[in-house]
Amino acid sequence: MSERDVVVVGGGLTKFAAERADASVRDLVVEAVMSAVEDAGVDLHNVEHGLTSYESDHFNRQMTLGAILHDHIGMVPKPNVRVEGGGATGALALRTAFAYIKSGLCDSIIVYGGETNGKSVTSATAQQFFALSSDADWEMMVGGTYTAYYAAMMRAHMSRYGTTERQFARVAVKNRRNAQYNAHAQKPMNLTVDEVLASPPVADPYKLLDCSLLSDGAAAMILATVEWAAAHSTRWGRQPNVYFTATGCGTDTMRLGDRPHPYPGLTHFRGKREAARQAYATANITDPLHQIDVAELYDSYSGVELQAYEDLGFCEYGHGGPAAESGVFDLGGELPVNTSGGLLGRGAPVGATGIAQAIEIMLQLRGAADPRRQVPNARRGLTDTHAGTGTHCVVNIFERRD
Amino acid sequence: MATITNKLIRLTAADPLGRQPDPWASFREIEIIELQWAQTYRHSLGKYSRFFVELENKRFLATRCPICSQVWAPPRPVCPDHLAITEWVELSGRGRVESFSILHHPSAMVPYIQPPYVLAYVRLEGADTLFAHLLRCSPAEVHIGLPVQVVYYEGPVAHPIHLMAFEPDNG
Repeated sequence: MSERDVVVVGGGLTKFAAERADASVRDLVVEAVMSAVEDAGVDLHNVEHGLTSYESDHFNRQMTLGAILHDHIGMVPKPNVRVEGGGATGALALRTAFAYIKSGLCDSIIVYGGETNGKSVTSATAQQFFALSSDADWEMMVGGTYTAYYAAMMRAHMSRYGTTERQFARVAVKNRRNAQYNAHAQKPMNLTVDEVLASPPVADPYKLLDCSLLSDGAAAMILATVEWAAAHSTRWGRQPNVYFTATGCGTDTMRLGDRPHPYPGLTHFRGKREAARQAYATANITDPLHQIDVAELYDSYSGVELQAYEDLGFCEYGHGGPAAESGVFDLGGELPVNTSGGLLGRGAPVGATGIAQAIEIMLQLRGAADPRRQVPNARRGLTDTHAGTGTHCVVNIFERRD
Repeated sequence: MATITNKLIRLTAADPLGRQPDPWASFREIEIIELQWAQTYRHSLGKYSRFFVELENKRFLATRCPICSQVWAPPRPVCPDHLAITEWVELSGRGRVESFSILHHPSAMVPYIQPPYVLAYVRLEGADTLFAHLLRCSPAEVHIGLPVQVVYYEGPVAHPIHLMAFEPDNG
């Protein structure tokens, strides 16, 4: 990379939970920011810019939430911008912060976000709110839900490649198992594949335990130039340095049915492949399975992780199921995926999700994750985050540089 | 004594991370109230309106790009590949299931449907895209490749997209 390298000074997140009755969304974000500031070893008064990451005005029943959050962490009158990209919001926020630093607009920025997706509204209403982020007139009004759209994608994948329900159930087992080693995770579980298969059907072929969680929580991360970090962080250089080295972004049609066949068809994430292509080119990655040490993928549903392996180039097309079964993505495997527990186990308060993924990679690259989930000698990590049915995809890459 | 009309819960929260001492010890008395919020939208169907109007005439319309001849169903007033204004074409309404899901929870968008119900992505004859809608049949009947046809309803409906659905094509 050229000049103005972007570094991760620090990050922090709250406990993710089905309900954080003890906190409003602003309380959650303040908690995450305090944690990030402590982790970064900085005085927040020295940070030049804010960046607000949240998806929905509906859950929070508050528009321009960024104004409240920026105010409540003492960042006024400094500049702020709000970024929204559906499920990819947190990763898109980090990508935007990357650009702000690269461009010279600022040397330091705090990215903070959260959501109260857990119990603010009923689960049925939450499904309707999320369905509003599909094409409301054409997909939602016909009784569609995100679980159903993803289920139709997986049904097509099963038909085309012979992928099985057992294969994607294995992802649900793996990620919730990993969550047991993460104190911030919402749903640590020690499950078997048979228990996933026996859980109640939601939208066939997806069962309850194939589905990610509705969560309350927040996360924050401070990014800066190397020079700013060296001048303002008491911890910079005293622990492994983590660089934010590459970012890619891809998109696809809003409606799943409008995509070209055979690729991506209903089976693949074209935007994810495009995002990865850009990020890999910047980071000089040609063999992702061997050149990436740890990855956080957007496992909104268990089968989505299998599909992501393929579009991110971790395995051949159609091989996502057998690859999951091989254990290559388990702790101890060639490329551990979702060591944090992922959306299935750690949880997914939307505006915080992409930031939380990056925090897991930061911890892994520092060697500071819980020893039970720490990937030995992790040098390079990837986050994959998407909105809709792969409508908006972001891939970010982080590297340890000593 | 003060009265609050909405459902009210008071609780003493614990630190979700179990820290000792709890840094928020003096902020653990929590009150939760219930807020209701409903609204009605005036919602134009815009340049898509003709599709919906023709459903009342039991006709299924799509749009075709005058440059590439791609047929979009659902229609698009502009072909995104050429930024060209499209033209309306009528389709037979017959097609095949490309993929589907069986939903096991009721949807407020289709309150007249009892779960389990089928959402199908259908490749319509003459269209280059897939059209998603309810497939009104027993979930046991549905499979990829199933021939289906558009069926029309008189209503009353809350949204004109409900003037149609798919059924298995036994003809």
